[in-house]
Amino acid sequence: MLDQFILGLSVVMQPNVLVYAFFGVFLGQLIGVLPGVGAITAISLLLPVTFYLDATSSMILLAGIYYGSQYGGSIASILLNLPGTPSSVVTCLEGYPLAQSNRAGLALFVAAFSSFLGGMVGVAILVLAAIPMTVIALKFGAPEYAMLVIIGLLAASMIGAGSQIRSLAMVVLGIALGLVGADATTGYYRFVAMPELADGISLVSLAMGLFGVSEVIRHASRRPARGAPPLSVNMRDVIPTRAQAKSLIFPIMRGSSIGSFFGALPGTGAAIASFMAYALEKRFSRNPEKFGKGHLPGLAAPESANNAASQTGFIPTLTLGVPGDAVMALIIGALILNGIIPGPRLIVDQPELFWGVIASFFVGNIILLLINIPLIKIWVLLLRIPYQKLYPMILLMICVGVYSHRTSVTDVLLTLAFGVLGYLMKNYRFEPAPVLLGFVLGPLLEDNFRRTMLLYGGDFTIFGTRPISAILSICSVILIVWAIWSGLSQRRKTARDTMKRNTLTSPR
Amino acid sequence: MRAGRKLLNDGHSRSWEGTLALTEKNQRPSKVARAVSGAVLLVAGLVISFFAWGYPTGSLNQMGPGFIPQTIGVLISLLAVAILIVDLGDPELERPGAIQLRSLCFVSAGIIIFAVLVDRAGLVPSMFLAVGVSMFADDQSKPLTVLIYSIIAAGLGWLLFLVGLELPIPAFWRW
Repeated sequence: MLDQFILGLSVVMQPNVLVYAFFGVFLGQLIGVLPGVGAITAISLLLPVTFYLDATSSMILLAGIYYGSQYGGSIASILLNLPGTPSSVVTCLEGYPLAQSNRAGLALFVAAFSSFLGGMVGVAILVLAAIPMTVIALKFGAPEYAMLVIIGLLAASMIGAGSQIRSLAMVVLGIALGLVGADATTGYYRFVAMPELADGISLVSLAMGLFGVSEVIRHASRRPARGAPPLSVNMRDVIPTRAQAKSLIFPIMRGSSIGSFFGALPGTGAAIASFMAYALEKRFSRNPEKFGKGHLPGLAAPESANNAASQTGFIPTLTLGVPGDAVMALIIGALILNGIIPGPRLIVDQPELFWGVIASFFVGNIILLLINIPLIKIWVLLLRIPYQKLYPMILLMICVGVYSHRTSVTDVLLTLAFGVLGYLMKNYRFEPAPVLLGFVLGPLLEDNFRRTMLLYGGDFTIFGTRPISAILSICSVILIVWAIWSGLSQRRKTARDTMKRNTLTSPR
Repeated sequence: MRAGRKLLNDGHSRSWEGTLALTEKNQRPSKVARAVSGAVLLVAGLVISFFAWGYPTGSLNQMGPGFIPQTIGVLISLLAVAILIVDLGDPELERPGAIQLRSLCFVSAGIIIFAVLVDRAGLVPSMFLAVGVSMFADDQSKPLTVLIYSIIAAGLGWLLFLVGLELPIPAFWRW
């Protein structure tokens, strides 16, 4: 294991690869700082660029953007009370009160350091789990893959934000969009409304439309009452005291474990991990009343959780080829576009790529810790750029990026269509992330399901009789039951609340 | 993302659009408004099913290219019906966020202009016009700022895409 990790380090330490690792995490941090530009937008913007790079460098670059944005997201949360990324929403709860009481430097330091520790725990677990997971994954046949994809899709719609049934509908819609084009087995054209669609809908168009264009439309004309400009950073009391540091050890350990768990689970990711870590920290704290007023453990736990999750998220992605969330789906898409099929064979066929990417996380986290605090003045400056000066450039990057990908005007127009769709969807409480996940996983599901049915003569019981797939089937049943149960109890609770409210407000 | 601050201040676990809807409080959406999202999805599901039924289905152990699309079409329709039932049964449903027509129009126009011009006029003019038009999505932008910004943006784009990345797109058509 250590040998392989050293092999990976030797790959990353080549100057031309190191440049991409640095560029990736730097860009990720920058993207994370800027509210309104997410890791998904940034990664889809860079997808066309990766065609000019080798697979290892492009993976290192794109992955760096992803976990780098987790670091950057906390900066906007602490200084502006605006989460830069979905996973740093809870960071605002403790980080902003700290900044308000003139302890922004301390908050930034604690956030950066717990992010670093969380990230390192995540990398360690990734290194330890990689080979055992691959051994299991090599036993996977078509039925196991089909079940695993189903679990991933179910988990994404059951646990994620928003209504479960709506997310599930979006997953299925994503699968439907993935069907467009020639059928992989028979070559039969499906849903090809115009000849340009024969190769299917481009992942770049879909991602940039749903996440890039729709956000531009949403924010271009909205000038929020943006309170005070970013709080100034007091750089004197940056380092926590010994007592403070001591009080953070266990929250960071708990946060990292929660993060590692939810990251590795297909369908859940950094955002859910950070919410869970915060909730748990509050529940088990001896003084829960301190939360929400700048309590350091409440800042450290979710920050370590989201970074641990963004590293362990690569376990299913790299060993099984099944992405855990929408960002991972994009990274898998990039790999496939580079001609590499992710899956258990990756570690055997391309050890330099596999271990190089993992080692780059190790190096990248160190770079992030080093550039985070010294460059704080630059991040504060970035926070002062209004979105109105930013979005035309984002739009320009989207247009040129999509066009240059396949030199296709249709792709640009499709991007606009998906942008409008994404915008309207969100207005009606449909989340766009499950669409992307369904789009990437759909073909995988269809392929493996059809192969299963072909191999086992259309017998559904095969999902229950093969040991690994039986376990996976039980998991998905549990997921469904849990989702229905929690959905029902939620509804009963809101019904009770409204009843209580009505009786309270009713005239005496 | 920006509306997130509102969410955090309120401490509600509602969606951001939900908090926006809260500001237009007490106007409960009509039955028709509540049915819109489910109905549109239902139409999508039916359209998918309609086309999918033209494809060969095959059998369970020898699936044709139509099998999965048909399943998906039916599944979307069923989920749409479920959403319709849930939404119609909930009179306290959040109102959908108001559509920002101005930004929708100008952003779309910018992208369409880019798409139409890039093959004909080349990259630089289409970048200039796309940026210029899309900037009017912000109702406080002034013509002079837009002009200056668009020139800068087109220049930067030229530097990045054509000089830096050497994308094989002509800068100006046949020049």
